[in-house]
Amino acid sequence: MKGIIRKFLRVNLSDGKIGEEAIPEQVEVDFVGGRGFGIHYLYRELAPKTDPLGEHNKMIFVAGPLAGTTAQAVSRWMVCTRSPLTGAFARSVAGADFGAWIKFAGYDFILVEGKAERPVYIHLTRDACQIQPADELWGKDTVVTQEWLSQRHGLNTRVACIGPGGENLVKYAAIVTNRRTASRCGVGAVMGSKNLKAIAINAERNLQLHDPEGYKQLVKQQIQTMMASKGFQHHREMGTTGNPENTSELGIFPARNFRYGRLDDYEKLVGEEYLKRRIGEFGCYSCAARCGKVHRVTKGPYAGAQSSGPEYESIWAFSGPIENSYLEATIAADQLCDDLGIDTISTGNTIGFAYELYEKGLLTKKDTDGLELKYGNHKAMVALVKKIARREGIGDLLAEGTMRVAARIGKGAEAFAINAKGLELPAYEPRGAKSLGYNYATSNIGGSHGYGYAPQEVFGAPFPRKVDRFAEEENADIVVFNQNNGAVGEVGIVCVFARAWFPHLYNNLLIAATGIDKIAEHGYLPRVGERIVNLERAFIVREGFGRKQDTLPQRMLNEPLHTRGAPGEGQMMRNLDEFLDRYYEIRGWTPQGTPSPEKLKELGLSYVVKDMAQSQKAKAI
Amino acid sequence: MQIDIPPLLRHLTDGATTATVKGSTVGECLNDFVKQYPKARRLLLDKEGKLLRYAEVYVNKETTYPKELATPVKDGDEISIVYVISGG
Repeated sequence: MKGIIRKFLRVNLSDGKIGEEAIPEQVEVDFVGGRGFGIHYLYRELAPKTDPLGEHNKMIFVAGPLAGTTAQAVSRWMVCTRSPLTGAFARSVAGADFGAWIKFAGYDFILVEGKAERPVYIHLTRDACQIQPADELWGKDTVVTQEWLSQRHGLNTRVACIGPGGENLVKYAAIVTNRRTASRCGVGAVMGSKNLKAIAINAERNLQLHDPEGYKQLVKQQIQTMMASKGFQHHREMGTTGNPENTSELGIFPARNFRYGRLDDYEKLVGEEYLKRRIGEFGCYSCAARCGKVHRVTKGPYAGAQSSGPEYESIWAFSGPIENSYLEATIAADQLCDDLGIDTISTGNTIGFAYELYEKGLLTKKDTDGLELKYGNHKAMVALVKKIARREGIGDLLAEGTMRVAARIGKGAEAFAINAKGLELPAYEPRGAKSLGYNYATSNIGGSHGYGYAPQEVFGAPFPRKVDRFAEEENADIVVFNQNNGAVGEVGIVCVFARAWFPHLYNNLLIAATGIDKIAEHGYLPRVGERIVNLERAFIVREGFGRKQDTLPQRMLNEPLHTRGAPGEGQMMRNLDEFLDRYYEIRGWTPQGTPSPEKLKELGLSYVVKDMAQSQKAKAI
Repeated sequence: MQIDIPPLLRHLTDGATTATVKGSTVGECLNDFVKQYPKARRLLLDKEGKLLRYAEVYVNKETTYPKELATPVKDGDEISIVYVISGG
C-alpha cells in the first residue's frame, strides 16, 4: 500500500451491495489521483443524460494521494458527480479531516450509487461497511447529525453529512464535514436524492508511502518553507478575512447584484473588523495554518450567532449582493448555511437576484411572504436563508437557483440572473478581472473561481507571466494555464492557498507518496491537468454543452461596471467571441468547443473520440 | 532599479505599471517609490513605515521575507510587489 491505495469502495444504496474494487495502475499513472480519479470514473460509469437527482447518478467521494500523511495542508477531499444545478460536471471541494479518514479506511475513494428506500447513512470502518437506518436523523441539521453519529460511534468518527437543504433537494445544497463544506454545484442535493444522510468513518491512522524516509525529509522541508513564507504567516493570522479590502480596492467586490465593484462602506467588512469578533480558530487535518476563524455576535438582533467563518466568499455572499454592511448579519447567515447545509455563494447570489427582481417589480411583497427585499435589509436576507433551506414560501422558488428562477418568472428576469452554466458567480467581478471572468465562462462546472483562479489579476502574482486584468482574448493562454494548473493542484487536493507556500515541493511529495517517477519529468503534471480538463469537457459536451453555453451573464456583456471610485469604471466583457476562438485554438478544440480527435489522442483519451463524434452528430440533428 | 507595480496599486500610480527607483535597500527603494506616488503608500506601508502584512516584496523573483525592508539591493535588480493570496 502506498499514498495511492489503488482501491475504492462501491456502495450501492438500491440493492445494498458493497464491494471493493481495484484501481488499475495505468489509471494511477494517467490521472495520479484526486480529481483525476473523480472524472475518470464518472466519465466511464455515468450514462449521458443521467438525471442528476435520479437513482442512476453516482457520487465519488475522493481524497488525494497525500491525504492523511504528515504533510501540511494536503488532506482536502472532493465530491464528483453530475450537478443538479447545472447539469454539467460537478467537483466540490472541502477540508477538515474527512479526506484523511477516507484514506485511513483503506480507500482512495468511495463511490456511491443507487437510491435507498428510506433515509440511511453509511458507516465505514477499516474492516466493515454497513448501510444503517437514519430515520431519526432526517430533518436534523448538520450539527445535531454529526453529534449524534459521534455519540453512537465514538469521538474518533469523521462525518460528511447533509442538512435540511440536501434533504429538501435545494439545487445548491452542500455536504458538511465538521464546519467545512463541499458546497458548490448542489452535491448535497444529490446525496439527499439518494436518501443518504451521512457517511461516517471510524478508522485508525494507518498509511504507507512509497518512500517513507524521503517523504519525512520533504515534510521537514515543507514545514520550514511554510514557516518562512509571508503568505502562510498572513493566512494563519487572518484566514481569508483580509480579502474584502483587497478586492474592494481593486473594484472587484461585486455589489448590488453585480452592478458595482464595491460597497460604499466596505471598511466595515475588512479583516480588522472580523478580528474584533474572533473567539477561536480551527484547521484542517495536519495543517498549522488553522485558517478557519470562529466569530461570535455578542449584541444586536443576531446576538448569540456563532460561525466558523465567514470566509471571504461568505463575507461577500451576505454583504455585496444586497448591499449589506452590517457585519453581524454575515456571521448569522453563514452559520445558518452551515447548519442547514446550503452553499453560501449560491445562496447569497440568489438572494441578491431576488432583491433586484423586487426592485424591478418582478417580485412583490405578495410573492415574498411579506418580506421587504430592499437593499440593505439584512433581516430579510437572513430570513430568506432559512426559507430556502426549508423550501418554505418564496424559499421554494429561490432554492432552484438563479437560472431556473429566471426561467420561471420570465419577463426579462434572465437579465439579472448572475450565473454561468447555471452556477451562481462568486465574489470576484468578472469585468474587473477578466481572466477570472472568462474562466467562469469556460469552466466545466460553471461560474466557479476555484476552477481557474487568477492570482495574477487579484494579487499581482507574475506567474507564468504578468497579466493586464482588463485585457480580453490576449489572456486566453492565462485562462488555459490557470484551469490546467488548478487541476494539477487537485490531483493531490492540496489547499489552494498552501500550494503557494511550497510550490517546488508539491511534485516531490507526490513522487515520494506514490512512486510515480514520471511526475519528475518536465511537463508531466501539467499534461495530467490538461487531460483532466479535457475529459471534464468531454463529459459536459456529452451532456449537450458547447460554445453557446460558454458565456457570461448578460450584465457582464452589455452593462458597464460602476466601481464607485475604484479602478475599472466602465469595463465590460467586450470580446467573448474573440476570446472563445483563441481559447479553443490554444486548447486544440473545435470552434464549437469540442475537444478534437487529435487532442484527445495526444492526451491518451482515444476512447472519448467516438463519444464526441456522436455528440456532434446529435447536435446537428 | 525598476519596481513592478501590481494591479492593486495601479490606480494610485496613474496607471503606471513600473517605476524607476533609487536606494541600497528594499526599504529605501519603497520610500523613493511612495515619494513619487504618495497615494500608493496606504496600501504598502503602515504609519510606522513597515511593510503591510499582506504585501510581499520580491527581488529578482526571490522573496525578501522576513528581512523585507532591510534587504540590500543593487543596480539591475528587479523589485516586485505581490499581495499574498488571501481569498478564494
